[in-house]
Amino acid sequence: MHILVVEDDEVARDYLAKALREVGHTVDVAGNGLDGLHKASTATVDLVIVDRMLPKLDGLAMVQSLRATGRKMPVLILSALGEVDDRIMGLRAGGDDYLTKPYHMSELLARIEALARRGAAAGEEGGTKLKLADLELDRMTRKVLRNGKKIELTAREFQLLEFLMRHSGQVVTRTMLLEGVWDYHFDPQTNVIDVHISRLRQAIDKDFEKPLLHTVRGAGYSLREDE
Amino acid sequence: MGSERRFRGVLSTSPFRFAIVYSLVFAIAAAALLLVVNFAVSRVVDSGTDNLIESEMQGLREQFLVLSRSDFIALVEQRSQNQDVRGAVYLMVDPQLKPVAGNLPAWPKIAAEEGKWIQFKIEVPYGEETREHQMRARRFPLAGGFRMLVGHDVQERQDVKSLMMRSLIAAVVLTLLLGLGGGYWMGRRILTQARAISAVATQIMSGDLSQRLPVRDGEGELNTLAREINGMLDKIEQLTLGMRTVLDSAAHDLRTPLNRLQAAADGAMSQLLPGSAERRVLERVTVEVDRMRTTLNALLRIALAETGTVAREAVDLSELVASVVELYAPLGEERGIVLDSEVNAGVQVQGNRQLLAQALANLIDNAIKYTPDRGHIRVLLHNLVAGPEVVVEDNGPGIPIDKRELVLGRRVRLDEARKFPGSGLGLSLVAAVTKLHGARLVLDDANPGLRVSLKF
Repeated sequence: MHILVVEDDEVARDYLAKALREVGHTVDVAGNGLDGLHKASTATVDLVIVDRMLPKLDGLAMVQSLRATGRKMPVLILSALGEVDDRIMGLRAGGDDYLTKPYHMSELLARIEALARRGAAAGEEGGTKLKLADLELDRMTRKVLRNGKKIELTAREFQLLEFLMRHSGQVVTRTMLLEGVWDYHFDPQTNVIDVHISRLRQAIDKDFEKPLLHTVRGAGYSLREDE
Repeated sequence: MGSERRFRGVLSTSPFRFAIVYSLVFAIAAAALLLVVNFAVSRVVDSGTDNLIESEMQGLREQFLVLSRSDFIALVEQRSQNQDVRGAVYLMVDPQLKPVAGNLPAWPKIAAEEGKWIQFKIEVPYGEETREHQMRARRFPLAGGFRMLVGHDVQERQDVKSLMMRSLIAAVVLTLLLGLGGGYWMGRRILTQARAISAVATQIMSGDLSQRLPVRDGEGELNTLAREINGMLDKIEQLTLGMRTVLDSAAHDLRTPLNRLQAAADGAMSQLLPGSAERRVLERVTVEVDRMRTTLNALLRIALAETGTVAREAVDLSELVASVVELYAPLGEERGIVLDSEVNAGVQVQGNRQLLAQALANLIDNAIKYTPDRGHIRVLLHNLVAGPEVVVEDNGPGIPIDKRELVLGRRVRLDEARKFPGSGLGLSLVAAVTKLHGARLVLDDANPGLRVSLKF
């Protein structure tokens, strides 16, 4: 994937570019908003990571201009500001996701992966059935089957599983789950998400030979058919 | 119904009340003035007429003594015809009370002593019709059983008096009506402006500091006040924006190096084998960065909540309480803690959903931390008359009464709490969020345990 990193903090930018290259992405960098806008509009960029506070052209203004010219690639906004409503402003300006500094590289990578997939899978969003190996989830009837056997889930467990299935094969972080399933954007301090995951795991994996829900150490969880 | 409410609203304004009081005072004053004038005028007019009658009577008496009866009758007739004095009446009757001379048709049948003043009515022709006129007169005996009456038509005087009475009543009624009308008009004017001011004040309190009070042209007290308040708001907005800018740059300046540190550690870790000593050091660095980030986030959120500039919207508190309880319930169950909840449906507040959720999450998280295994936590949302109330109650050790004030301050962790993870900012954030929402945070004894209430 071709990723453009627009970040004025040179040190952070270099680390970020290096980490992205290591996982196989092609990376372009820009040190200010004008440069960033120029590069995002001309080159074939698949995804943009943009810092909010940039010299010459502010990150939000850059995203707005980009959207105004009809560019629809996913944009992840990074911010070192005071958050709460900054996040809403970022998304309103046309960003697809928002991450506060300091972030874990694993968190950023997971979000990039999710954004890229969202862009690619935009067409099949309307599908009512999600399927992974022998696990099936029907969003209309709200039924979950594993190997043809019905699995009883609470409403929240269902939402959690749906989120994981829509991101199957990817790493999903705890913050992403708290945001995506509960719509809460704060540090829960204790690992509340872990407990919910372990309950879901009980429900879908316990009686079956091959586990689908995996813990990714230091990052989060992943629902996938194991190698 | 709206117009009726508006009407009632006007009636309770202070200008309207002032107007009622003032118009009553004016009406009473007008009535008193008119009564005094009326009294004085009647006295002057009455005594004038009475003097006239008296002297006429005296004159006639003297004439009777010197004139023959027929001459006297002629004199009376002459005086009766000759209306030098408009409205003068005369009547001379014989001992059988038959009229002998004069311009009255009959002797008034009034059983009054001779010489006393009498009042009576007679019919006076007015073209085709007749009208009753009030007469005032005195009678006196003449020699030979004849009697004489001298009087005056006082109808005009009566008319003036009753006209004055009527104008008096009209004046009082008019004063009252004008007073009430003027009061209503002023009340409405004031009310409109007051409503506009309170609407703006509500918006300002909900965080929109760019709003200003409406100012009309002119120099009214309300306008002057509104201008001064607007000046004050300019100052407050400037200060708050300044605070926000300081907060943002502080956040930026702290987060940027932390971010580099995190990125450097992440970068280095990816080169190291899991489990190696170097990697373990870096993992510890990462844990500390996380801790700093958590503290920083909490501090920034508290500061942000305290600036009061956070955007607010209608928040479904019932949904929020239920979902935070649902988020934490499994965590409690891990330790055998029962997390009960009782949530009234459809409770809404104006606020920031994220901050409210975090405040409630902090309370429940604390409750779970401090409640012993197999304990019991109750979360209540009641829609009381005074406003919604959220209560988190545990049966843990509680907080001693003398330390309750203390724990709401920044970074206070009671000694017993040091073994638990956390920044010590949880309750401070709750306090800041509560204040931002204009609510009250109350710590109570749950006998045993702690009972925290947020009263909106």
